Amino acid sequence: MIEVRELTKKFGDFTAVDNLSLRIETGEFFGLLGPNGAGKTTTISMLSTVLLPTSGGIFIDGKPLTRAASEQKRKLAVITQEYSMRQDMTMDEVMEYQGRLYFLPKKEIRSRTDELFEFAGLSDFHRRTVRHLSGGMKRKLMICRALLIKPEILLLDEPTAGMDALSRRQMWNLLRQVNDRDMTILLTTHYIEEAEALCDRVAMINRGRLQKLDTPRALIDELGRFTVEQTGEMSLTSRHFGSREEAIRYLETAGPDAALRATTLEDVFVECAGRKIT
Amino acid sequence: MGIITVLWEKWVEFRRDFYKITVAAMISPLMYLIVFGLGIRTTSHGQPYIFFLVPGLVAMVTMTGSFSAIAQNMSVQRLYEKALDQVMVSPTPLWQFILGQVIGGSLRGMYAAAVILILTIPVRYNLIFNGLSFLIMLLNGMVFATLALVLSFLSKTYSDAPRFNTYIIMPMSFLCNTFFSTEEMPDGFRQIIEILPLSQASAMIRSISYGESPDLTGIVILLAYLVILGGISVFFIYKKKNL
Repeated sequence: MIEVRELTKKFGDFTAVDNLSLRIETGEFFGLLGPNGAGKTTTISMLSTVLLPTSGGIFIDGKPLTRAASEQKRKLAVITQEYSMRQDMTMDEVMEYQGRLYFLPKKEIRSRTDELFEFAGLSDFHRRTVRHLSGGMKRKLMICRALLIKPEILLLDEPTAGMDALSRRQMWNLLRQVNDRDMTILLTTHYIEEAEALCDRVAMINRGRLQKLDTPRALIDELGRFTVEQTGEMSLTSRHFGSREEAIRYLETAGPDAALRATTLEDVFVECAGRKIT
Repeated sequence: MGIITVLWEKWVEFRRDFYKITVAAMISPLMYLIVFGLGIRTTSHGQPYIFFLVPGLVAMVTMTGSFSAIAQNMSVQRLYEKALDQVMVSPTPLWQFILGQVIGGSLRGMYAAAVILILTIPVRYNLIFNGLSFLIMLLNGMVFATLALVLSFLSKTYSDAPRFNTYIIMPMSFLCNTFFSTEEMPDGFRQIIEILPLSQASAMIRSISYGESPDLTGIVILLAYLVILGGISVFFIYKKKNL
C-alpha cells in the first residue's frame, strides 16, 4: 500500500505539488491524470526519491519512504518518462546493472533477462547499445528492466508517450497482465483513454492540487453519462446529462451541428482541468 | 555489495573505452614530458629536470584521471541520461554507491599513473616508486574522485564539468608542485598552494622517488580532504532536495 500524506513540493516560489494526499491499495491500478505541468512527474520523482518533498511524506506499507529506506525501495520499480538509462551500455548490461543494484543472483538475472527479452521481442538485439535502439525499443527495455526485479509496486510515468497505437495496445495488455499478479501500479498519463481502459481508480490533479478522486465510472456518472457535443464555427461545446431522455430533449433544441454520445473520462478531465488535453 | 556493483559498472565502461581512456591518459603528460623534460633541458636541485618532473606528473595524472573519470560521467548520468535515477530508486545503499564511485575513480587515476610510469621507464633511471608511492597515488585519486562527485552534484548543466576542469584542475596541475617547487612561490600564496592535495601528493611521491623519507603529515592532510569531501557527497546524495 502506498500512502501519500500532505505532499508538497516547491521550486522557489513555484508550487509543483500542493498538499497532495492519496492512498493506493495493494494490487490497485491507480491513475494520476493531469495536463502538462500538473505535477505528475514531480510526484513520481518524489515517489522514486529523486526529489525530496518540501513537506509531507510518502509511506510504503506504513513505513516512511526515504533515500535510506532500502527495505521500501526494494519493493519499487520506476519507468520514467525519459529513457533514464546509460546510453553506452548494451541491453544485457542495462539488465545486469539493474539486477546487481537489487542484489539479484547473476543466474537469476540471466534467466529473467532472457525470459523478459523473449516476451518483449527484444531477444535479437540484446547486444545492441542503448543509443542505437529506437524509441519503442528503449521503452520496452525500460519495462523489462523494471520487471526484472519482480517489484511489488510499479510506478509508470507516461509509459506510452511516443508509442504508436499498436505498441500502446500491447503495452496495455502487458500492464494488465502484471497487475493481475497483484502488483500495485501507479500510472501517470495524459492519454485519458489509457487511464479509462486500465485504472481501477483515478486521481485528477491540476496545478499540483488534487481535483477529483474516484473510479472512472463514478467520475463519469457524477458528470452525467450522456454528452451532447455542439460544433460551432470556432468552438466545440459540451453539455452533460444524467439520462438519455434529458440529453435527447436538449439535442432536439440544439440544432444540426449537435451530436449525442456517451460521456468519457476525457470529458470529466476537461471539466476538471478547464482545458482540452492533447 | 553495492560497491562491487559500481566497480562492475566502471569495469564495463573501462573495457569498452579501453583505447580511448589509455590514449587520453597518455597525451597531455607525454606532451609535458617532451616539452619540459626533453625539449627544454634544465636542471633542478642539481639533477636533470626530468627527475623533478616525473614524480609530479605521476601525481598530476592520478588527479586528472580520477577527476575526469567521475566528473564527466556523473554529470552526464545525472543531468542528461538521468541514469542516476535508476540508482536512487534502487535498494543499494547510497553511501556504497558513493564509495564505489570514489574507489572506481581512483583506480582510473592509478591506471593513468601506471601508463606514465611505463612510458617514462627509459628516462627516469633510478627514481623509486614503491608501495607507499602507490598508496599516496590511490589516496590522491580518491580525494579528486570525491571532489568530482561533489561538483557533479552541484552541476546545473552537463557542460559545467569542463568548466570545473578549467577552474580547478588546470590551475592545480600547473601550480601544485608539479612543474616547479612551491618553495619558489611568494609567502602567503605559497602556504595556500602547499595545503592543496596535489601539492601534498607530489611532494610525498617526489621524496620517495629520491629515496628520502616523505613528510607523512601529507597523508593526514589527504585523509582530511577525503573525509570532508566524502561527507559532503554523502550528505548531498541523501539530503539534496533536487538531485
